[in-house]
Amino acid sequence: MDNESVIQISNLTKIYRDFWGRKKVRALNSLSLEVKKGEIFGLLGPNGSGKTTTLKLLLGLLFPSEGEIKVLGQPASNVEKNEHIGYLPEESYLYRFLNAEETLDFYGRLFKMSAEERRERSAELIEKVGLGHAKKRQLKEYSKGMTRRIGLAQALINNPDLVLLDEPTSGLDPLGTDDMKRMILELKAQGKTVLMCSHLLADVQDVCDRIAILYGGELKVMGRVEDLLKEQDETQILTSRLSDEAIKEIEQVVAKHNGKVGTIDHPTATLESLFLKTVQESKERPGQRFVPDTQEKKAAE
Amino acid sequence: MSFDPIPYDLFDALKHFLTVFGSTMFIALIVCLLVGVLTRGVKGIGDVFLGILDFFNQITHLSCRRIWSLSTLTIRESLRQKILFVFIIFAVLFMFAGWFLAGAADRPDLQIQSYIDFVLKAISWLVIPIILLLSCWSLPEDIRLRTIHTVVTKPVYRIEIVIGRMLGFTLLGSAILLVMGTVGYIWINRQVPESVQANLVSKVPIYGEIKFTDREGAPSAGLNVGDIWMHRSYIEGATKARAIFTFKDIDESDAINDELNLQSSFEAFRTHKGNMEKGGILYQFIFVNKDKGLRVDTAPLINKEYLENRLKINRKIMHESEDGKEKVEVDIFDDLVDDNGNLTIEVQCLEAGQLLGMARSDLYIRTPDHAFISGYSKAIFGIWLPMVLVIMLGVTISCFVKGPVAILTTMTIVLVGFMSKEYMAEILSGKMQASGAIEAWYRLITHMNSQTPLPDGPVKFMIQIVDMGIINFLWLCQQIIPNFGIFSNMREYVIKGFDVSWDAALLPGIVTVAAYILPCLIVSFYSLKLRELEAK
Ligand SMILES: Nc1ncnc2c1ncn2[C@@H]1O[C@H](COP(=O)(O)OP(=O)(O)OP(=O)(O)O)[C@@H](O)[C@H]1O
Ligand SMILES: [Mg+2]
Repeated sequence: MDNESVIQISNLTKIYRDFWGRKKVRALNSLSLEVKKGEIFGLLGPNGSGKTTTLKLLLGLLFPSEGEIKVLGQPASNVEKNEHIGYLPEESYLYRFLNAEETLDFYGRLFKMSAEERRERSAELIEKVGLGHAKKRQLKEYSKGMTRRIGLAQALINNPDLVLLDEPTSGLDPLGTDDMKRMILELKAQGKTVLMCSHLLADVQDVCDRIAILYGGELKVMGRVEDLLKEQDETQILTSRLSDEAIKEIEQVVAKHNGKVGTIDHPTATLESLFLKTVQESKERPGQRFVPDTQEKKAAE
Repeated sequence: MSFDPIPYDLFDALKHFLTVFGSTMFIALIVCLLVGVLTRGVKGIGDVFLGILDFFNQITHLSCRRIWSLSTLTIRESLRQKILFVFIIFAVLFMFAGWFLAGAADRPDLQIQSYIDFVLKAISWLVIPIILLLSCWSLPEDIRLRTIHTVVTKPVYRIEIVIGRMLGFTLLGSAILLVMGTVGYIWINRQVPESVQANLVSKVPIYGEIKFTDREGAPSAGLNVGDIWMHRSYIEGATKARAIFTFKDIDESDAINDELNLQSSFEAFRTHKGNMEKGGILYQFIFVNKDKGLRVDTAPLINKEYLENRLKINRKIMHESEDGKEKVEVDIFDDLVDDNGNLTIEVQCLEAGQLLGMARSDLYIRTPDHAFISGYSKAIFGIWLPMVLVIMLGVTISCFVKGPVAILTTMTIVLVGFMSKEYMAEILSGKMQASGAIEAWYRLITHMNSQTPLPDGPVKFMIQIVDMGIINFLWLCQQIIPNFGIFSNMREYVIKGFDVSWDAALLPGIVTVAAYILPCLIVSFYSLKLRELEAK
């Protein structure tokens, strides 16, 4: 059943009130959306547009002011549905006095998992998020990115069918971002549903099937990523380095087909790819420096 | 005097609990329905009932596995917050206490009392405040840091978080108490000199019921001599006035070395100076067994005032038979205890013109002593009970207010419950006021003299209804605050050298704590259910 909907939101409105019940902020206004099984859905929007609010409403952490929510066919306030949900909060809200293993074991025990299962699963997840070296250290000693990683491991402890990720890549280094994206795609391959929110467009573009863009608590755009981006009416050709004559010839060919050449230049590698390459090589050959410092080179001469 | 051996009426307590609990729940229900209807219309009524069902649904589906993991989390949290530092304070206290307490009293039994008193006070003054802070602080902190978000998005009922916390703190507190209690026990045993070790026991008293007869022998309430000790009634000497004590369930096992041990503390009231040399007023015990028609009196005894009179009576008493011809031997336990196991002892004052005053607690049968540990461990249990109650209240209150406020509120409840329960009871019983609040306002506004009766009519009716409501509401508020005084009874027993009575101290303590379990669960359930777990 591909078309089974996992999340159904209709006319959801959320108004934050203060202690006396006075209205403070209308964080969501009449939001309706649906997430299908097996889909990776991205919720985009600038800061304060209501992404986190939407996730919290889905989890029953907040109560809607109006509208209906169905998650895995259940109302949001139902606790049993959480058996199949994994949630990575905006900041990893974890107990700082536990170490990585204890953390996973604790959350594992909240599910119906045997000690054996918990041990296996947490060892596996700790490896997966790359914290094998730090699994005995208390979380209060962790850096932001490390906390983020253990946060993700915690969200996956129960092998959930639906994963809700609130800015999964925030605080992660590019390598971590890459891992994260790979893991999200892996989840999709296993037939899981992912709802993630982010404002890092590149991340979303790489992994999401469908996106919605929120602005000021209202839904502005929703659709398949390819469909939404197709309207850019351009073609890009990447070749090996060409001589000036060859470029001239190409311009003529383009003109013959009623096209117009935009920019032609010799691309530099992106910082991202350089970074990724360096880290990759450091892993393979530890203790070596790959790109000599330009200053040092001069001094040597 | 908090040392009060009146047996506890469980049935009465249950009735009382049901009244208070029932009416509170009823008021809460009415308020909820009103709010529901006002905010959601007719649908509100259905929502309220669904909400009630939800409580039962969750309470019956609690998972021990989850509660256990939440309580171990709580314990771990406290341990990693270095809670065990309290042992250092404890150790330091004890190192110095020996010096201060040595020679604090001139009688060995009082010296023992001061040691026991110190140990029990030190333990409870260390454990209860610390546990109070922990239990009030923990949940609000969890909400403030939003770590609770990661937990409630797992398949966990919110009430399980509360129960897990309560259980965790209880276990932690119990462990601390156990260690401190053991250290305290060893310390007391070391401090008490070899020569008076024999005094380190738990006396086991049996108290009876008391009745009086007047000078003609007719039932009465005894005489009131207008003394400050209103609780004692007096019997006149050399008349038929008697105080009649009836002790239940007496048998041989209550004898010590084949002797019946009676301990009395009667108070004399003199109408003339009398013979002072003999050291007190003469009186006599008369054992009465109506079933066998026996009346056996003891030799005249002297009531030493301001001291405990301990009287050992051999179980075999020589007694002149009815016709006065021969002496027969009667056995207290075989012959004088009646068919229902009751031993009736009449007290008669022998001196004309003198009165002897007594209350129920002034005469008891001392049965074979229990080891000191018996009373001591119950006194520690008497610290454990209020600790558990404090945990339950603290965690419950912290479900709906922030940490500091929760601490203040819980502390206030403990203090009020400890000190002014009786005072409040007096106000509310109507002894201390002439009219209700609304009536007073009405008189103030209309310049009406407080002696003039209110004119009959709807106004008077309304005022009375509202005033009744206010008084009842205040009564309810007062009843809701636990009576912490009950728990200090247990300590009192042990300090005075007694074993702790089940009826008069343990049972009421246990029942008091038990009575708060359900209300605390209900309050915390709804405060977490109706609350968005955002730090506000
Ligand atoms: N607890 C709260 N009380 C009051 N207002 C809040 C609360 N939480 C969020 N808001 C408001 O709701 C709106 C939406 O907030 P939300 O956290 O959902 O934004 P977001 O899209 O997640 O932003 P970001 O990208 O910064 O994470 C904001 O205007 C915010 O100020
Ligand atoms: Mg956010």
